[in-house]
Amino acid sequence: MKTKFSGMLTLLLALVVQLTFAQEKTISGTVIDDSGLPLPGATVLVKGTSSGTSSDFDGKYSIRADQGATLVFSFVGYTTVEAAVGASNTINVTLQEDAESLEEVVVTALGIRRQARSLGYGTDIVKGEELTQARESNIVNALQGKATGVQITNSSGNVGGSSKIIIRGVSSLSGRNQPIWVVDGIIINNSQTAGNSRISGNRDFANGAAVVNPDDVESLNVLKGAAATALYGSRAAGGAIIVTTKKGKSNADGNTSVTINSTFRFDDLFRVPDYQQEYAMGTNGVYNSGFNGTDWGPRIVGQTVPNAPVTNVPGVLRAVKDNGIRDFFDTGYTHINNFAISDADEKSDYRLSMTSLNQSGILPGSKLNRYTASLNAGFRHNDKLESRFGVQYIKSKTSGTGATGANDPNIIGLSFFSSTLDTNLFSPWIDASGNQINHIVDDAGNLSNNPLWLRHENANDRNDDRVIANASLTFKPFEGFALTARMGIDMDDDKRLLENSKGTIQRLTGDFDSDNLRRQEITADIMASYARDLNEDISLNVLGGFQYNARLVERQRIRGVGLLIPELFSPANAAQTIATRDFSESRLVGLYGSAEIGYKNWATLTLTARNDWSSTLPTDSNSYFYPSASLAFVFTDAFAIESNWLTYGKLRASWAQVGNDADPYQLKFNFLPITTATGQYGLDLNFPFNGALAYSANPTIPAAALLPEEQTSYEFGLDMKMFNGRIGLDFSYFKNQNDNQILPVAIPESTGFANKVLNVGRVDQEGFEIAIDATPVKIGDFSWNTAINFSKVESKVVSLTEGLGRFQIASAFNSVQVVAVPGKEFQLFGFDFLRDEASGRPIIDPTTGRRQQAGQATELGSVMPDWTGGFVNSFTYKGFRLSATIDARWGGVMKSSTVESLQQGGLTKETLFGREGTFIDTEGVLVDGGGVVTDNNVPLLNAEDYWTASLGVGSVATPWVYDATYVKLRELGLSYSFPAKILDKTFLQGLTIGVEGRNLALLYSKVPHIDPESSLLGSGADGFGIERANVPTTRSIGFNVRLSF
Amino acid sequence: MKRLNLIILVFTLLIGSLQSCDSTLDINTDPLAASSADPNAVLPYIFVQHSARKVTELGTRICDVSQYISNTFNSPNRGSVSSFLTGNMWNSYYVDMLGNLSLVKADATAAGPTSNNVNAVATVLMGHMFYDLTSLWEDVPFSQALNGAEFPSPSFDSQVDVLNGVVAMYDEAIALIDALPAEGVFNIAATSDMFYGGDMASWRMLANSLKLRTLMMLKNGGANVDAKINEALGQPLMASNNQAAYLRYSGQPGAQNGMLTIITAFFGPDNESQDVFGPGDPIDALLNGSGDPRWDLWVARNGLPAPGNDLFPDPATSVLSNNIIRANLPDMLMMPAEIDLYKAQLALEGYAAAGDANTNYTNGITNAISWWGIDIPGAIATITSGDVSTYVNGLAAPTMNDVYNQQYLAAFLQPVLAWNIYRINKVPVLQAPPNSTIGTVLRRFVYPPDEIAANLNTPADKPTQTPMWFEN
Repeated sequence: MKTKFSGMLTLLLALVVQLTFAQEKTISGTVIDDSGLPLPGATVLVKGTSSGTSSDFDGKYSIRADQGATLVFSFVGYTTVEAAVGASNTINVTLQEDAESLEEVVVTALGIRRQARSLGYGTDIVKGEELTQARESNIVNALQGKATGVQITNSSGNVGGSSKIIIRGVSSLSGRNQPIWVVDGIIINNSQTAGNSRISGNRDFANGAAVVNPDDVESLNVLKGAAATALYGSRAAGGAIIVTTKKGKSNADGNTSVTINSTFRFDDLFRVPDYQQEYAMGTNGVYNSGFNGTDWGPRIVGQTVPNAPVTNVPGVLRAVKDNGIRDFFDTGYTHINNFAISDADEKSDYRLSMTSLNQSGILPGSKLNRYTASLNAGFRHNDKLESRFGVQYIKSKTSGTGATGANDPNIIGLSFFSSTLDTNLFSPWIDASGNQINHIVDDAGNLSNNPLWLRHENANDRNDDRVIANASLTFKPFEGFALTARMGIDMDDDKRLLENSKGTIQRLTGDFDSDNLRRQEITADIMASYARDLNEDISLNVLGGFQYNARLVERQRIRGVGLLIPELFSPANAAQTIATRDFSESRLVGLYGSAEIGYKNWATLTLTARNDWSSTLPTDSNSYFYPSASLAFVFTDAFAIESNWLTYGKLRASWAQVGNDADPYQLKFNFLPITTATGQYGLDLNFPFNGALAYSANPTIPAAALLPEEQTSYEFGLDMKMFNGRIGLDFSYFKNQNDNQILPVAIPESTGFANKVLNVGRVDQEGFEIAIDATPVKIGDFSWNTAINFSKVESKVVSLTEGLGRFQIASAFNSVQVVAVPGKEFQLFGFDFLRDEASGRPIIDPTTGRRQQAGQATELGSVMPDWTGGFVNSFTYKGFRLSATIDARWGGVMKSSTVESLQQGGLTKETLFGREGTFIDTEGVLVDGGGVVTDNNVPLLNAEDYWTASLGVGSVATPWVYDATYVKLRELGLSYSFPAKILDKTFLQGLTIGVEGRNLALLYSKVPHIDPESSLLGSGADGFGIERANVPTTRSIGFNVRLSF
Repeated sequence: MKRLNLIILVFTLLIGSLQSCDSTLDINTDPLAASSADPNAVLPYIFVQHSARKVTELGTRICDVSQYISNTFNSPNRGSVSSFLTGNMWNSYYVDMLGNLSLVKADATAAGPTSNNVNAVATVLMGHMFYDLTSLWEDVPFSQALNGAEFPSPSFDSQVDVLNGVVAMYDEAIALIDALPAEGVFNIAATSDMFYGGDMASWRMLANSLKLRTLMMLKNGGANVDAKINEALGQPLMASNNQAAYLRYSGQPGAQNGMLTIITAFFGPDNESQDVFGPGDPIDALLNGSGDPRWDLWVARNGLPAPGNDLFPDPATSVLSNNIIRANLPDMLMMPAEIDLYKAQLALEGYAAAGDANTNYTNGITNAISWWGIDIPGAIATITSGDVSTYVNGLAAPTMNDVYNQQYLAAFLQPVLAWNIYRINKVPVLQAPPNSTIGTVLRRFVYPPDEIAANLNTPADKPTQTPMWFEN
């Protein structure tokens, strides 16, 4: 390993040394931007000549010019400045950002700033203001529809929940599909640990990146291809999200700038199921007061029943509008306030921002309070030394998180609500002695939980403290050379408490789960760079560096069962306590280098190399090399195309190899200390048992040799601006091959082990992306901007391992799974009905009239979309701005257990069909002993029999598998910025007021009753296409005021 | 030159920072796992995990197959075995139990005669696991099992081969115990051996008793095992309840029998109030009005009719009593009554070494009743030995049918054994559940999907009404 380091360093050193001689200058200076940061790559020309240079990495330049000449400073995305050469040998200039510019500067991997024109790969930049137009509590959701090739999955309407982001489809069978998040050069953790089991009483707590505060974001760059992320080596296969936070700026007067941004928003149910209101709770036409969620009772005719729902006293049955769901769910509100103060001068910049987010969800008792304090400051001590410091502290408190999935008394899904259930009767839910009251009571007197008791008495809390900090020091001993040391840490102290109060039905004795997670990620870089123009045509920018990254997760959990004092959740108050502890640590050392060779500012070849040494791989083979090459060719400049319609055109091509690191502790066989002896139905025993502790062999055979997952990728792209920038087009085609998938492959259990970790299988991704932005109308003060993005990607499993026909990615209920099958995208996998081969119609059991389950589970379609797209429009007129975002996901399937429960419970309108009289499943056929097929004529018992026993036979999934396509009106905003002349007489520099809406309308969907975006498998799980009892999603409408002075 | 020096300095520092790289990266050992484990730490896992899975899975789900309980949730009794039931049990036997036991055995074998005791305990338990495996699936991997390096896809052995192999394992265990050195023997902790606290004479007796159980199955299948039966009869066999092999449940949270916790977790405080487990028709038929004290010990509201085949109890039926469905109900692996009643059967069949049929028969019934009313830990309702002898003394000399019925009763709350006893004797006669799709009592499990998918040698499933070889 040391030999390799030395070899690479010698090479880099030789390159640098060769370039450090023979500098001379007459005029020199620094080009900075309006926030005081150096601008590398700015062009400096002596006006009227062909003599010119570019500013270096630190914005420094030097040029020979005569006194009296004029220097022209220009940079893409900035206004051009001219300066006369006087007596001084130093000219420092500040270039202002030009909103109308055709090109831009982007922050790429490792925080390196590059001109967009020099990039040989596609990126997608989302500006801070786009994230705050209709603010989201999870920044991931704010990207919906705004970036190409990005698939966002927002799990539910849970406040403080998680969202998953996948870039250009899935690349890994082992769950490492999400991009890395990098904030100001520091890799932060975006992991998610669900509360409780993933499918059983899941609490979807937030993903790590949810704390990134949109108000503090200057820009967010989505690095999609492997060439873009190659400098991240073995963590780059899922792409990267590069977040740059706002730095201090002075206001237009050069004084301290203060902004106040305040949003108040209301949330209500996005979609209410189409509940039937004609039949009461019960079964087989008979009323039963305990059957809420099962509306197969009698027709509601105003009859008096001896035991009305909840009250359990004689009462009249009446349908309650929307099954009382609007009474049960609250109106949520979100209040976001941001205060930022910033300043900058030649020597320093400073920005302090405080944000509060107070949200109360629609689910009673659910709340998220998040407070963010953020500081970003830089100091230029002298012309050789700069330092910068940033820290964000985020306090998030989530309470009343909804439980989803199954097998937990706290789950309250849309199928809970019955036509005759007045949910107002559930209040109050507790008596003076602390006992649960106003239960649901069935005819036999058995009690079920009062849902308000569950919501208000059982804690589902998360209290999270997060510190993300970075510090960097840059030393520029001489022209063109810079040495930067940067260190950052992301610390997360995540404390959860889930509890069932004593008296909760199914958890009568009371229990709690106190779960403390500590995550820490440290990243340190030492980076040296050197830039100069070799001659008038060729520029060179080289960079070399070293990175150390360490990730640590520690989890300590105490579960207590059998409480003595009802509301005391202490281990000493529990009859039984189970303590567990988990720990994992991994480290990565990387050495990287890049060389960017530019020719005449129209061709740029970038070569990068990174070598990683990982702690999770065998020590004798833990070194992996990740190269990339990319070429950007601005053909409009190269061929000097001067066209009215083609203003700018760039072709780009790239090739790269990146990786996907292995998880720790997969190499050594071990025995695990056991706290729980597992039984069916969660009926577990605990150690110590009869005084004995226990150990068990790890059932997974470790890998003798393990390689990182390897992604080889190429990409071609075309970037064009037409009609003076009125129309822009960005097209990318990419193909990735992902080999050496790290899988725990199932082996015959009769060997005594269940799995073996192997490097097997291959997943390919192929697709294209198109982004078009245009200003179709610009007349006077009116302009209309429109942007369309479209991406299509196919992530196909090419192979697994010999003898393995199928690999389970995720498993849910009733044998429904998400599986990898060679030759296909990830498939939903489950049971269909037994069908007549010729007609495809279900074969009916002649004795019962019911459908039958097929013998084997089958693939039910891809869970990945065919394409995703976004359509963003904005209209501005004077101070008015109207913007709208529509996004679409097309294709793919999902299984909804909520719809299954709604229909099996006879709760929705389609179940009204055939309630009275004979019910025959006319879609079915009968097949006699001789194979003769006839239309079914065997009646079922009734409609209930059809929905429950016939459609619900065995583990059949197909009746509730839907095309997951949707088109949504995601955002709508109208704002008015007061003109300067009105504000002149006030202390204000800017005042904008607006209304905003999110998730306003489902424009198209084939999934009935629920939001087709819902997903049971939160961001930490690798699976798609399964929904069960999710907290209903919300529609939001709000107001926004933004002040600056 | 100054610049060059600086650059060299910078990169020297950089390289220097990498010097400690190897040790920095050498952290890939899980600090919360052990590279090896003492048998005293692994054995408790075997005892408790086996019981946790067996009681909650087989205990609560297949007891209505042999019909000592009227009906259960998610039962395969109508002919369809769910992939969860078959998969969980297969995984539990092969991975949780045999995977760990084979590692314990391998370590003990390597350690030599001073670890013969550990080796013998592991061998007896392995034999029992394979006995259960073949009882549930018939042909199972045996000779090539637990050796993935040599046999990545173990072949399936016929039931007769598996059962003969199990007998050989019990013989091996007995030989290991007999060859224990006088000194230096590995100390099995009293808490780790949850049956006998490390007493190897008891393990030898258990090995021989389990061997007789296995031979009874082989005999019924038609194998000529007379010599082996006589050999077993000639060696110490379990004879009294204080020699029984069972796991104690303290009844404290985390150590409560799953037959109760399935009720407390999902329904309410106890079985009598929640009507979950009711007596099966054969229990009612054999005990109701017989004077057998087990009727009162087992069944509450026992003046009411039994719930009926494939039905749950309700307030108008009898129900299994809280006296047995309780938190500290032990989980039994083998009881002396079973041995007594095998001996009674063998005596009636003419095996001289088995002794007197009637003596064995009354011993068996005495042991069985005494267990439930006197000897069982934590009994709520108790009886006296006088009650037992009064009943037993009034019994007539047994017919073979009487012996079979008593074997069935003695297997109460032992799900695999009760099913085996029925499949061997076909006594008592059981009716298929009303909605059975196979028209008969379930005869076998299907192979689990995971094994089918991963092991190409898995044979095709036989229909679940197909009798196994041992039923002959």
